[in-house]
Amino acid sequence: MSQAQPRFLERIGLARSSRRSSSHGGELSLDRPVASLHSDPTCGAVDSAGLHSNGVSTPAGEPSVESELARYLPQLSRMGEQLRQTSSQIENSVVDVCNSFQSIAEHAKATVGRSQAFLREGDSGPAQAGSFDGLLSQCSQTLVRVLNATEESGEISRRAIDRIRQMDAASEKITAALEQLEEIARGNKIMALNARIEAARAGEAGAGFGVVAVEVAVQTERSQKVTATVTDLIVELRGLAASTLKDLQQMTARDAARVEQCRREVDDSLQKLQNAHGEMKTMLSDMSQDGEALAGEIGSAIRGMQFQDRVSQRIAHVVEDLAHLHTRLAERFGTENGGNLADDSGFSTYTMVEERVVAGLADAESAAGDVELF
Amino acid sequence: MRKVLIVDDSVSMRQMVSFTLRQGGFEVIEAEHGQDALNKLQGTAVDLMITDLNMPVMDGIALIQNARKLPAMKTKPILMLTTEGLASKKEQGKAAGATGWIVKPFDPDKLLLTIARVLP
Repeated sequence: MSQAQPRFLERIGLARSSRRSSSHGGELSLDRPVASLHSDPTCGAVDSAGLHSNGVSTPAGEPSVESELARYLPQLSRMGEQLRQTSSQIENSVVDVCNSFQSIAEHAKATVGRSQAFLREGDSGPAQAGSFDGLLSQCSQTLVRVLNATEESGEISRRAIDRIRQMDAASEKITAALEQLEEIARGNKIMALNARIEAARAGEAGAGFGVVAVEVAVQTERSQKVTATVTDLIVELRGLAASTLKDLQQMTARDAARVEQCRREVDDSLQKLQNAHGEMKTMLSDMSQDGEALAGEIGSAIRGMQFQDRVSQRIAHVVEDLAHLHTRLAERFGTENGGNLADDSGFSTYTMVEERVVAGLADAESAAGDVELF
Repeated sequence: MRKVLIVDDSVSMRQMVSFTLRQGGFEVIEAEHGQDALNKLQGTAVDLMITDLNMPVMDGIALIQNARKLPAMKTKPILMLTTEGLASKKEQGKAAGATGWIVKPFDPDKLLLTIARVLP
């Protein structure tokens, strides 16, 4: 309140006489009707000589009660307008907050819905096609099939190695048999030579036997050549088999190591995926609970924000009373001398442009939100 | 989805009630005073009406009296949601045809529970 106002109100008997009716919260009542102030000897009405009818004189040079009242009357309207604007600004702020809450609640609701749908899908028993558990299971099965196929290839390689070893063993036996054939051939050659010697000793009678002996020697020679060729081929074949065997053994050993490593990595990855999925489900469950809690907290905030409705109503009642007071005082004292109170120190506490506009004190100034760097 | 008409001259109160009801799964239409509400009731069937008491143009009591004359609103629940708590005002509301009286500020959960109780 200004310094000027209390003195003035005291002079006209209003400073401590205003009270609110206990039965009508919205109405302002005076101890006595304003219209009767002028004629009531107890309230300081002023006579033509500047003396109050209750004996208190108006100090020389001070304006009369009527002129002071008339001067302050416009301010009553302006104060009412200040209150109306304040109420409106509070309401606009609450509406903005409500809009934000609406948006927050919708987002929270959508998040809760998605989380719960995801969790329901995960809890619906066996892994469903398309669900995360289903995809994880499919992925696991595919990887197991690939590993099994690789292991089967290794098994085939191992069987091939065994067969090559068996073939090598057979080749070794063939070589041994060829050595026996060579031994037989050498025996036959000696036998053919002895036969030719014996045929020569027999003379004419042994001539035919000598021809046969020569032929046996020739055939034995041919047999030895064939045996030598087969022996060479067997040696070459065993060499190829040995190198193939070596390659296969290396490949099988390498594949076995790789398969084992892959299996460990796949198991590890699947386990990590499973763990991550579990953590995600826990997180979504927490988010869902948080979303529900948020909705509850917004409900509490809405209850709290309704103070604005009550404040608005009370302000409206005060504004209405101010209007009544203005009307009554204007009817009694007139408004012809009312005007700008810029020079009154009692009305100089406004800090916002909106306030000064309403009070008629506005000057060139910045509006809310303006930024100026110096 | 059940439809509720909210009548209040305060934008913020309409928003707060609307917000609460939408979260509760209701469709909401709004009116800013009694006459506006009556106009909307002419073209729209609602399952419930929630109205303030003191409003410009037409107050809540007059609105209820007029709404009860409409065939579609004869048996529909109507709740008063107001800062007024005087027994005499409540009696006026009851006599006009109000189903219930809620004094502001309202608790969102309690409002939804009350609606669940009065809706058939």
